[in-house]
Amino acid sequence: MKFKLHAKLVATPLVVFMTIASAAQADTVLRRANDLSFGGSESLDPISANRFYEVNDLIYSRLIRQDENGRPASELAQTWKANETATEWTLTLQPGVIFHDGSTFDAADVKFTLERIKDPALESPVTDVLGLIEAVDVVDPLTARIRLSTPHAGLPLLLMDYRVRILPEGAAAPFGIGTGPFMLDSYDPESTTILNANTAYWEGIPKLDRIEFTAIPNSEARNQAMLGGQIDYNGLTRDQEPLYAGNSAFTVQSYPAGGWFGIAFQCNQPPLDDPRIRKALRIAVDRADMLALMSGEGNGIVSCDTPVKASDPFRATLDCPQDIAGAKALLADAGYPDGIDIEVFTADLEPGMVQYAEVYQQQVAEAGIRVKLTVAPSDGYFDDVWLKKNAVTSWSQRPADQFLNEAYRSGAAWNESHFANAAFDTLLDQARATLDIEKARTLYVQAQEILFNEGGTLIAYQENGRRVMSARVTGIAAQDEDYIRWHMVGMEQ
Amino acid sequence: MATVLLERIGLALITMIIIVVVVFFALELMPGDACSVNLGRGASDSMLAACQKRLGLDQPAVWRFAAWAGDFLTGDLGISMQRDRPIAEVVGWRLRNTLILAGLTAAIGIPLALGLGVLAGLNPDGPLDMTISGIAIFAMTVPEFISGTLMILLFSVILGWAAGVVTIGYKAPALDLLKASVLPAATLIFILAAHILRMVRASVIEVMQSDFVQMARLKGVPHRRIILHHVLPNALLPAISIIGLTMAWLLGGVVIVESVFNFPGLGRLAVDAVADQDLPLVQAIALLFGFIYVLTNLGADLLALTLNPRLRTRRK
Repeated sequence: MKFKLHAKLVATPLVVFMTIASAAQADTVLRRANDLSFGGSESLDPISANRFYEVNDLIYSRLIRQDENGRPASELAQTWKANETATEWTLTLQPGVIFHDGSTFDAADVKFTLERIKDPALESPVTDVLGLIEAVDVVDPLTARIRLSTPHAGLPLLLMDYRVRILPEGAAAPFGIGTGPFMLDSYDPESTTILNANTAYWEGIPKLDRIEFTAIPNSEARNQAMLGGQIDYNGLTRDQEPLYAGNSAFTVQSYPAGGWFGIAFQCNQPPLDDPRIRKALRIAVDRADMLALMSGEGNGIVSCDTPVKASDPFRATLDCPQDIAGAKALLADAGYPDGIDIEVFTADLEPGMVQYAEVYQQQVAEAGIRVKLTVAPSDGYFDDVWLKKNAVTSWSQRPADQFLNEAYRSGAAWNESHFANAAFDTLLDQARATLDIEKARTLYVQAQEILFNEGGTLIAYQENGRRVMSARVTGIAAQDEDYIRWHMVGMEQ
Repeated sequence: MATVLLERIGLALITMIIIVVVVFFALELMPGDACSVNLGRGASDSMLAACQKRLGLDQPAVWRFAAWAGDFLTGDLGISMQRDRPIAEVVGWRLRNTLILAGLTAAIGIPLALGLGVLAGLNPDGPLDMTISGIAIFAMTVPEFISGTLMILLFSVILGWAAGVVTIGYKAPALDLLKASVLPAATLIFILAAHILRMVRASVIEVMQSDFVQMARLKGVPHRRIILHHVLPNALLPAISIIGLTMAWLLGGVVIVESVFNFPGLGRLAVDAVADQDLPLVQAIALLFGFIYVLTNLGADLLALTLNPRLRTRRK
């Protein structure tokens, strides 16, 4: 019994291997690693909490994507237009697009995909972004009307979310049929996943014949696989970067990304309920220096406590050099002429989270801010410390409107600093109802200025992402993965 | 003989029971539970409650322990939280892969270590011994993650002789895995052989200086015969328990070596399970490692008992 099983196990992959090997000479293949961040429960459902983003990005398309300036650009939706109150959006769709199974893309697929987000059984995290979609009407096969429960002028920006990818009507587990440039051939996140070029892709035939994902959870092992030429494309950490410096076999890129560490000071706990003290705690920081120390010069962008990433059209560009005298004056004003004692918690959850607090502690000492640093256990950090204490926090990028509402609106579930400001909330409401993008920008910038003046969260910088590729890879600019047009990516022979 | 045998087996059983208790309650002491740890920051109260109900975490700890230990004894390892599949299925393939790696390591490493150990022991302080011992001490002091990385650097990146990192999946055929095991096994052999050969060398030197060897020599027994009939049987007996211990050490070694080489075995799964905060899986792997450790040592003990009559009777 066991023997038979093994004979089979040996025989089938051998045949497959030989077939692949004989075809390999003509094929251009990009080999990538899957870091198994969901431990094998990676899902092809784009809105699942465990979405297998790297693969979903290749097999599905969005309605609207971002152009190089972060503005909405056409993908499966050709045009979009709101009614005057921004409660209804009408989308005209790209004609002649077909799914990998041969069916034609139309408004019914849009209706299915978008209405599915709200299905309570799915518990999708995308509900936080697009839960405001009440229903979608199929006006005609190439026209869909999205009805919102509250006005939102920024809907096109929300539809750019990397998870909002169009499924064919009625799609169900295990999913995998989309309109993207690559089609699923075999799927096993814990070993190898293979995608073949979609020769019927509506934007043109992909230059690559195939993309393969191999599971390599260990960051060091991924790095070794890259160095040894076993994979062609990989993320890179700061300390791995020197390994590739000056090596012409590799291309290293540093690109603006939106993730950041911060310290969320609790605005509702005295003495931090005084906005002057909160501002003092933040302006005493030398952000450029901290960025250089933590991430390396030029590998990020200084932030004046705005969570919004550099490529977002609604980001406020403020100036916030270290201001020790200003911080001292604010503290004296608030009744602390001899400085103040503050407790900050962190945990070794992600590389850099402890160091962030340590650098903070050193930098603000000069302003008389004495930081007592406590490294809490990683397990249970988000249960016991986060939302309760002054704590180092970590966020990944999201659109401005979503970020500001999710993390700073009064009473929001993830308002980690317990910031509550009626004027701020009103600005967000107004911005959502403002269809003119320049006017909306003014409102969002004002909201971010409030955060800088009164907010509780220190955000010193947004760190760049890094990647390394085989020098043979073409067509990938130094931009976030979201921007890569995969059908244009090729491999020089 | 029978009492000694029963005593050893009894002790092993008690140790295994202690392991079961410690593994369960050590995780119990951690902040949070399997659900809160796994769901993390995004956990809503309703999600948490549903998860706790599904895993029975709303029951008292002692009751859960009884249920869990009972399931374990009947071969039901539970469900992996992250993978949402039976743990037995998740662990099964990985166990096979680790056994392939450990088997290859033992098959080459143990004879190699015995041979080199005897060679070094027979010519103590000679140039051969100095070379062998020197390399062995180096191998013992360099941690696996460094020697493994150096192996990849040398044989894969610089020389290009072998693929550095294992890129085949956990369900790959055994033969493919065996081929892919070359560098990881070499790393393990390097360290495993060093430990064993140092012991064998010391043991050979000791026996060579013993009275009965002196006696045999004085009686004019040929050198060859002294070595083969008197020295080796006596010198290699203590090596058995060392081999047992070292094989058990191998389990710890594979955790690191498998991660460095991306080898799809139990060791890498252990690291992944910790990283994914998949507590039921961590528990199951900890238990498996504990049991294998105890059983390997028991096996070595029993083998030593069979081969060495002096151990069979109790000294008062």
